[in-house]
Amino acid sequence: MSSVTRKGSGRGVASRIWSERWAYLFLLPTLLLFGAYTVWPIISSLYYSMLDWNGLGSERQFIGLANYREAFGDPLFWKSLGITLTIIGVTVPLRVGLSLLVALVLNNPRLPLAKLFRTALFVPAVTTTAIIGIVMGFIFDPSGGPVNQVLLDLGIVDQPIDFLGDPGTSLWTVMGVHMWKWFGITLVYWLAALQTIPTTVYEAARTDGAGSWAALRHVTVPMLKPFLIIIVLLTAIETMQIFDLVLTMTNGGPFFSTLATEVYIYQQAFANSTPRLGYGAALGVLFGLVTLVFAAIQAIGIRYANRARSSS
Amino acid sequence: MTTFGRRRFFGLSGAALAGALGVAGCTRTSQQEAATAAGGGVIRWWDHFQPLKPLNERIFAEYGKANPGVRVEHEVYNPNEMGQALQLAFKSNQIADVHSIAGLGSSEASLVVGGWFSPLAGQDAIRAKLPADSLLEGLHVFDGKLYSFPIFSARQYTTLNWFNRELVEKAGGDPDNGPATWDEFRSLAARITKDGGGRAYGWIQGLQFHERLQSHVIELATSAGAPLAMAQGDNTMGLVDPRTGEYAYAGEPFVQALEFLLSLVRDKVVFPASTSLDARTARARWATGVAGMFFDGSWSIGVVNGQFKQFIDKVGVGPIPSPDGKPVLYGAPASGQLFVSSQSKHVETASDLLARFTGPEFSKGLATFMDQVPLDLEAVAMAEVHPSYKRAAELFGQTVRLAPSPIARNPAVAQVMSEMKAPRPTLGEITQGILSGELTDIRKALREYNGKLTAERERATRVVSGKGVKVSLDDWKFPNWQPGKDYTAEMYQ
Amino acid sequence: MSAAANRRRLGIWAQVVLLAVISLVWIYPLLWIVSASLKDSLDVFSGGLGLIPESWRFENYVRAWQDAEFGLYTVNSVVVTLGTVALVVLRCALAGYVIARRNFIGKRAVVVVLVATLFAPGGLTIIPVVELSDLMGLLNSRTGIILALAGSGHVAAVLLYAGYFSRIPRELEEAAIMDGAGFLRTFFRVMLPLAGPVTATVGVMTFLAAWNNFFLPLVFTFSRPDLRTLSVGMLAFRGTNSTDWSGLAAAGTISLIPLLLVFLALQRHFVEGVAGAVKS
Repeated sequence: MSSVTRKGSGRGVASRIWSERWAYLFLLPTLLLFGAYTVWPIISSLYYSMLDWNGLGSERQFIGLANYREAFGDPLFWKSLGITLTIIGVTVPLRVGLSLLVALVLNNPRLPLAKLFRTALFVPAVTTTAIIGIVMGFIFDPSGGPVNQVLLDLGIVDQPIDFLGDPGTSLWTVMGVHMWKWFGITLVYWLAALQTIPTTVYEAARTDGAGSWAALRHVTVPMLKPFLIIIVLLTAIETMQIFDLVLTMTNGGPFFSTLATEVYIYQQAFANSTPRLGYGAALGVLFGLVTLVFAAIQAIGIRYANRARSSS
Repeated sequence: MTTFGRRRFFGLSGAALAGALGVAGCTRTSQQEAATAAGGGVIRWWDHFQPLKPLNERIFAEYGKANPGVRVEHEVYNPNEMGQALQLAFKSNQIADVHSIAGLGSSEASLVVGGWFSPLAGQDAIRAKLPADSLLEGLHVFDGKLYSFPIFSARQYTTLNWFNRELVEKAGGDPDNGPATWDEFRSLAARITKDGGGRAYGWIQGLQFHERLQSHVIELATSAGAPLAMAQGDNTMGLVDPRTGEYAYAGEPFVQALEFLLSLVRDKVVFPASTSLDARTARARWATGVAGMFFDGSWSIGVVNGQFKQFIDKVGVGPIPSPDGKPVLYGAPASGQLFVSSQSKHVETASDLLARFTGPEFSKGLATFMDQVPLDLEAVAMAEVHPSYKRAAELFGQTVRLAPSPIARNPAVAQVMSEMKAPRPTLGEITQGILSGELTDIRKALREYNGKLTAERERATRVVSGKGVKVSLDDWKFPNWQPGKDYTAEMYQ
Repeated sequence: MSAAANRRRLGIWAQVVLLAVISLVWIYPLLWIVSASLKDSLDVFSGGLGLIPESWRFENYVRAWQDAEFGLYTVNSVVVTLGTVALVVLRCALAGYVIARRNFIGKRAVVVVLVATLFAPGGLTIIPVVELSDLMGLLNSRTGIILALAGSGHVAAVLLYAGYFSRIPRELEEAAIMDGAGFLRTFFRVMLPLAGPVTATVGVMTFLAAWNNFFLPLVFTFSRPDLRTLSVGMLAFRGTNSTDWSGLAAAGTISLIPLLLVFLALQRHFVEGVAGAVKS
């Protein structure tokens, strides 16, 4: 996002704005749409978060920061934050790492059927979440589901595992399904990154007598480093979408074991027996702050990576 | 921010956006909507009664024939999405003329106060077609005006024991009635599981769906002797001991009910996937013959009839199992299901149409769909339905007594209940925790839950009466209530 | 030498076999959906994991297509999705371009707001969006759905464009301006075509999101069932106490096909696009 800085020396603000009128015109659609449908709702949420309001009816009472005070003492909110961070902390590195491995294999131009494999791995990403919830019930069924069948046949376990119903395994199962669904997208990011490495680089490495392992270590991996940050970023954004998957598979249960923060917010704001939009909004704002911190760390990381790249 | 300021901001930014994008006009969608709706004879109708769709549409067609020019646009919602649909539609003035209130989580009384509904037109004609004691002030009648009426019976419960006759008979059980007591249930479940050799289990339930699980626990506890007065809805906040007005969750019956369910889990007679099933998937799996018994409402046979016809001859039903085999259950006064919106431009026509949802003919028609039992339970015996549905209606008539409702006594109780914040974990979630082994101390969990509810109710009562509303904890007490007896309309006086 | 070549070939085939197994496992759940769409309701649950239905029930598709009006919903989904994609591409490309290339007052503020909302949780914003759309007369219209879908989020798309444009050599623009092209012309004739790869990426990502979005089209079509999209239409299969699973599976299969076609058609562009985009 670098741009040449041309200080408008001696010119007035008005004339600077006039001279960049096209820039403002170009920005206008985004400013209007983004302002109306993203920024304004966020501002509204801030206001809602200070209301005692169930989201319907005109009865709303301004209660200041009471919702926030309650949120700080709400064990389920903190538990859900822990679960969300676990999901991100586990699935993002795993997904980015594993998909890199597969991408390295698929990137081999001599590999037959590569296109077919790529498509197969990508298809889950385009499948409707509601149906995935139902199918996965069967796949992980403790009485006769294929996963348990395989585990039993191979003698890995001697009792079927209740993947989705046991609070000890449900979160891992949900994370697994999430990775399965979105693996293909990260894979495509890596394949794309690999394409930017010209084949001449490999040829050069080979004439230098490097084997394929050495080429990988000394040529490919260093050249992929700058991509890492942006792929992690895109993957992390997608991981935020785990919301509807959890909702269809476990609805946050059993016994809160898969209660990701957005699921909890949704439950409080809309789905409770007594919906509390105000409280849900407060939770949303707090959650937004947490992710903002997360984003800031990312941003610093990107800047650092850019600097590292430009200095190399 | 004042309303005026916000509106102004909306208006300005709206105009700017619409102008910039070339969107013609800047009138509220809802105003345009109202303008077009006023012209034609279209009644918009939203409910959540999927299985009754053909019945409703038949009635609409008949009505259209009798009143040329009137057409009904019928939309069936899933109750989970319906609450949000209603909220947003009401807010933006585009709600249907007639709608049910599933998923709203608000009482009829507070919705009436919130200006949601219009009183029915032609009240006296409708009242004449309904049993007098089925209408209560604070539930269907507000300030003497009729807003809605029940179409389903108050005498029903969701923990009927539906079973697979073949499996029960093979295991030596009674294929006509099933087990009566908890002990019989437990041993029969064990025998079915043993006979099944891994292919069939004793009991299946949608344990993931904790709201429904909660209803089963409440009903099992009632069958174990918990006395209950209840406000409407699947909500623990409205359930108290009518003699004291106190919450009774910490009492022995609830402990016993949970221990009973836990014993089934410990015996390993529960279909293993139950923990990740909801009620619908559990029912579907049950219909494939993988489990013997399944707790469900009267609609179970209706769904089997509609979707799993191959299974219907194996279906039997018995009463809710109870410690002594002689259960008494309580049903809250049946609430109104359908309301005419205050935003409707066709109150007369809509009320006239609604009037067709009363009377013995309607009850009989309703029974044929084998869903919730109709207001007139007797109509079931006359209808052409599966024997198990007739049996279910019979069981309901025998075991369910009318419970007193604090809301019918003082509609302001509804305000207290909507002020209350449901404590988490809920009773259903606690049950899930106990059955999965995450919670081990049943008594402690129930005691804490009871304590939280009690404190929350006191707080809410203080808040509401602080606003000048006449309401107190005494509204929950019914000294003239007698265990095992109906609490009739005149007993509220 | 030839031994080494043989070994390498063997290695490749080992990889192919392994990948084939993984791919099959990967798409098994999807095959299951397709197979469930051809079974009857009881067969869905009793047939276990076998993919071949006992009896072929093509009427599930008839039910999905006719009774549940999936034909109509498909048209709506296509209109809404394409509209959203077009609008997102246009607005994000325009914004990305000026952020990358121009130095105007307020730029820093714009970038800060964009980045700050990158992770904003989306679920809660629905109520203000509905209020706003109602005031503008946009509820119950496909235009309203498109504007709301295109307006919320898509920060990553703006950043991808900005990154890509900042890498294009300035000489190209300057040459165009020398030829007498104005600001608009330079952008649409020179810069936007150059950003083809990013457009493909943003297009596919937006397509996926818009096609699958459920909540927004739901609340925007309360009074107009004829404007519903496929994902909302699936609701029709889920009742209070029962679900028409085979009908749902048929509907799911129907809604999957256009997505697969889009991906297959754009696969190459997509990969190259992401390559171009992430390079920055």
